[in-house]
Amino acid sequence: MKHLSDQDLMKLVQSGDFSPAAEIFDRYSGRIYNFAYRFLKNSEAAEDATQEVFVKMLKHAKQFHGDAKLSTWLFSITANHCRDYLRKADNKAKESEETLIMLPSPREHGPDRNLERREDEIRVQNALAALTPEQREAILLSRYQGLSYAEIAEISGCSEGAVKTRVFRAMETLKKTLASDAGGGTRWLTALH
Amino acid sequence: MVDCTALKERLPDLLTETIDKAGREETHRHIEDCESCQLEWIAYRDTWRILGELPEVAVPARAKARFAAEIEKLSPVAPVAPVVAFRHRPIARWLSQAAAVVVLVGGSFFLGQRTSVPEYQTAASIDGVSSLPFSIAETRVLPASDVSPEIQGRPQIQNVRFLEAKSGSGDVGIAFDVTSHVTVTGKPEDKSLVSLLSYVLQNHDNPNLSRSDTIEWVRETYGSRGVADPAIVKALANVLKNDTHEGVRIKAVETLNDIPPASAPEARLALIEALRNDPNPAVRIKAIEALANLAKSGDSYDPATVDMLREKASQPDENLYVRVKAAEALSQINL
Repeated sequence: MKHLSDQDLMKLVQSGDFSPAAEIFDRYSGRIYNFAYRFLKNSEAAEDATQEVFVKMLKHAKQFHGDAKLSTWLFSITANHCRDYLRKADNKAKESEETLIMLPSPREHGPDRNLERREDEIRVQNALAALTPEQREAILLSRYQGLSYAEIAEISGCSEGAVKTRVFRAMETLKKTLASDAGGGTRWLTALH
Repeated sequence: MVDCTALKERLPDLLTETIDKAGREETHRHIEDCESCQLEWIAYRDTWRILGELPEVAVPARAKARFAAEIEKLSPVAPVAPVVAFRHRPIARWLSQAAAVVVLVGGSFFLGQRTSVPEYQTAASIDGVSSLPFSIAETRVLPASDVSPEIQGRPQIQNVRFLEAKSGSGDVGIAFDVTSHVTVTGKPEDKSLVSLLSYVLQNHDNPNLSRSDTIEWVRETYGSRGVADPAIVKALANVLKNDTHEGVRIKAVETLNDIPPASAPEARLALIEALRNDPNPAVRIKAIEALANLAKSGDSYDPATVDMLREKASQPDENLYVRVKAAEALSQINL
C-alpha cells in the first residue's frame, strides 16, 4: 500500500475496499490530530475529531474527486467538525480547559531549558487560543500545514482575500500577545519590544 | 514606492511566500530604507518562527485501534456462501429461531385442530402448545412430518446448513434460521420485557435503531414510573462502562439519573465507576451532575459519592472543568 498514491488508495476505498484505510490514517492522522488539537485545545476532542474525520472519509469516499488533494479534502472535513464542535454552547464553555496542557519536551536539554521550552509552548498555545476560530483556522493551516491561501479558502469556504485578511489579523494579534508575554522576561521575543 | 500601511499588510505574504517576485523585491527595498517597517518585519518574522517551534503532538496510540475497529464495522459484508446471502443479525437470529418454533408448532397445532390426519400431529407438540412458554433463544429439531409442506410467502432464511444422513435411519437434515417479526407486549415491569430490553441494550446490533434511541426509549418508559427493575439499571451500567461512543455513555448517565430512586444504589455505583474511570471528561461531568442529583433526592447522602467527589475536586491531574464541577456538586450537597 505504501507505494500507492493518495488517489490510488482512495479509488480502492471508493470501490468498497477499505484495506487502504489504515495506510491513509498513517499518512494523515498526525496532521489532522495536531490541527484539531491546536484548534480545539482539547486532546480528547482532537482524538474524537480524528476518528470522525477518517470514518467520514470511508462513509463519504465517493464525494472525493480524484483531481483534488486528499489532504485538502481531509482538512475540510476536520475544519467543519471543529467548527461544529466549537459552535455547541456546551463545548464553548470547555474551550479553554486545556490551554495549560503540558507538551512533551526534548530530552536533550537540561531541566531548566525544558521548563523554559514548556513555558514558551504554553504561551504560544495561549496566544493561539486568543484568536477567533476563523483566524486560528487560517493560521494553523498556513503556518503548521503549509497550505496555500487558495487551499485554505477551499477548506474554510471563503475567498482567498478573506483568508489573507484572517492571516494578517491573526499575525497582528499573535505579535501583540507574544510581545506582551515577552515583557515578562521571555528571551525569544526581544525583537517584539 | 509602497507606503508603510500597505507594506504591513504584505508582511504575512512575505512570510508565506505568496507574493510575486516584483512585490517581494519592492517590499524588501522598503524594509531596508524604513526603520519602523524594519522593526515590524523583524517582529513578524520572530512571531512566525516562534509559532513554528511549537512541537508536534503524537496521536494517541488508541486512536488507531479505534479506527481499526471502525473499519471492521464499516467494511462492506462479504456474501456468505450458503444458499442466501443475508446481513448477519445476531438478535434477529435468535428471535427468528424462536419465531420459527412458534410458527411451526402453532401451525402444527392449528393443522391438528382442523384435520384428523394424524401424521401432522405429535402428542408432545399439541399438548404443549397452550402452556408452552415462548422461549426466545430456543433451538429445536423437528421431524419433517411436523412441518407443513406449504411454504407461504418468501420467508427469509439464512445460515443454512445441510446435515448428512445418519447411519441406519437415512434421515437428512436442513438447518436454518428464519427471520420473522415478533412483538412482545406487556407491562414495563414484566420480567420478560425487562430481560428482553436488557438484552437489546447490551447486545444491540440493529442498523435501523441506534443504541441512543434504545436508551431514550428506556428513559421515557421507566423514567416516569414508580419503579425500575435493577436489571435495566445493570444493563445501563454495562452500556456506560463498555460503549465506545461517549454520546451513548452520556445518554446512559442521563437515563440513570432519571430512573426512579428505588434503583439509586445500583445507579450510584455505576455513576461512581464512570466518574472514576471514564476517559471522556464530558461523561465524567455528567456523572457528577447525576450523582449530585441522587444525593439531593435521598434522605441521606452516600459517603462513597461524597468521597469520590472530594477526590475528583482535588485531583491535580484531573480535567479542570471536572474538578470545578465536582467542587460545585459538593457545595450543593448538604453535608
